[in-house]
Amino acid sequence: MTAPAAPMTRPTTALPDSRPPVRRRRQPDLYSTLSRVLIALIVIVQVYPLAWLFITSLRTEHDFATGDPFALPTSLTWENYARAFETGNLGMNILNSFIVTMGANFLIVLLGMMAAYALQVLGFRFSKFVRGLFLIGIIVPVQIALVPLFIDYSTINLLDTYPSMIIPLAGFALPMSIYLFSSFFEYIPRETYEAASLDGAGPYRIFGLITLPLSVNTVVTVVLVNSIFIWNDFIFANTFVLSEGLKTIPLGLQNYIGAMGKTDWTATFAAVCVTITPLLLVFLVLNKAMIQGLESGATKG
Amino acid sequence: MLPNRSRLSVLVFLLPPLLLYGIAVLFPIMQSLFLSFFSWNGISDMEFVGLANYVRMLTADDIFWRSFFNALGYLAICLVLQLGGALLVASLLTSMRRGRELIKTLYLLPAVISTVAIAFLFVRIYSIEPVGLLNQLLHWIGLGALERPWLSDINTVLAAVSAPEGWRFTGLYMLIIYAALLSVPKELEEAARLDGASRWQLFTKIRFPHIMPVWITTTIMATTYGLRGFDIPYLMTNGGPGQSSELLTTYMYKTAFTSTDFGYASTIAVFIVVECLVAVGLILFMLKRKADA
Repeated sequence: MTAPAAPMTRPTTALPDSRPPVRRRRQPDLYSTLSRVLIALIVIVQVYPLAWLFITSLRTEHDFATGDPFALPTSLTWENYARAFETGNLGMNILNSFIVTMGANFLIVLLGMMAAYALQVLGFRFSKFVRGLFLIGIIVPVQIALVPLFIDYSTINLLDTYPSMIIPLAGFALPMSIYLFSSFFEYIPRETYEAASLDGAGPYRIFGLITLPLSVNTVVTVVLVNSIFIWNDFIFANTFVLSEGLKTIPLGLQNYIGAMGKTDWTATFAAVCVTITPLLLVFLVLNKAMIQGLESGATKG
Repeated sequence: MLPNRSRLSVLVFLLPPLLLYGIAVLFPIMQSLFLSFFSWNGISDMEFVGLANYVRMLTADDIFWRSFFNALGYLAICLVLQLGGALLVASLLTSMRRGRELIKTLYLLPAVISTVAIAFLFVRIYSIEPVGLLNQLLHWIGLGALERPWLSDINTVLAAVSAPEGWRFTGLYMLIIYAALLSVPKELEEAARLDGASRWQLFTKIRFPHIMPVWITTTIMATTYGLRGFDIPYLMTNGGPGQSSELLTTYMYKTAFTSTDFGYASTIAVFIVVECLVAVGLILFMLKRKADA
């Protein structure tokens, strides 16, 4: 049986190796040259503005106001960064963003995992209905919650606190997290649970000793993906936070506009560079995990 | 279902997430619906007005309709840039042999940056005094006649505030579509190529039908995100000049927090939700009809 199969598979496996060179010789492949040029152009459009942002943050004010925007700066200066730190509260803004991101991520991961466990592993009669309920949160725009939450917060004195930002950020991110955990829990074989059950483990011990430790990778994915959106959240922070001491990065950056009558653009750009650095570093170091997470988040959800 | 589970354990795991979700999402939705039948400025007593807010919105509010059509324009530009750009780059990327990972990373870079930073950046790109990147570029390629202050020209401002949102998330959608394109079976493409299919036929007959489910998800994502777009127009122009870049979301926000007309703002918010649901329904309906045909 195996002997005749072997020679039959060989030509097909050899085919991909031999084909490309033949095709390349026949035509100087205009298509691939064109597509490479196009890709390069699009990448420039995506990346150049960010590079320009950084270059501008190193320009002198005079150079910025008079020069050609594409030209390299005539001299480099770190003065803009000094002014950026003097004008604003960058350190505090970064700390606040960090607290909000951590708090929301904690809720998203823990509660997302719990809900997925109840829906996927424990199972119950109305689980379809509950799943549908969570689907609403994916479709509905966040703006619907602004007015009601503002009113509710002011009645219970929660306006202008960390929880006022954390609650809606976590609430609206929860459905996606539940879907990611659910689809991961599907892969844990039922026998694992049944064996543990026979050994007398109840649902709580199974959650703590089996499900939780196995989910580390999914936790990383969920945290990375959500961190991008929470770290950069503008709308909830702008609506619920008033005092300087609680402002997150997006709000802190806004202070630079017109703070002194006329906007100090080079210092503003320096501040932008400082505030995007933490997330950018995380992204560049962990971009494989992040990219994977974004892909799976969308294709499964 | 676990054999040893009790009804109590299900509740223990389910209640905390439902509580948070209820407080943050479900209850506010009900509350908005409720408030939309009232007239209330947050201080005086609430006054029940029935459908008056809805009547005012649909028949007597020009700004509302202006914002609605602006929002559709904004959505169209975002969709073209995000889905079109994503599909184009993803397809090109599959034919490349090296550097795919690098390009994916670079392409995704703008998605990591906050909308406030992006708004600042684009204000300078569009500016005319001192001359920004866009105007300088137009000058160089001989289209100097098109130079203008993009954000204060009522004919260009809507496009100018939509483009950054499109630019920001193209990379995200590209990733998703690229992952789907990679899953197209190689044997299928190979067989079609041997039968003499052109690149275009390969794309329309084999690849695109194969990624259809992902394409639908992506379209729905991009549409709902486009309809809730807020940050960049709000930060760059705050709806101006006049109402030429006002979206439903920015109009609702200003109605709520500048005019403190909570009742009417809730009416607009309800409309935005309905609009999102209708859009998702329409996409599913159209695609289903296409699939049946």
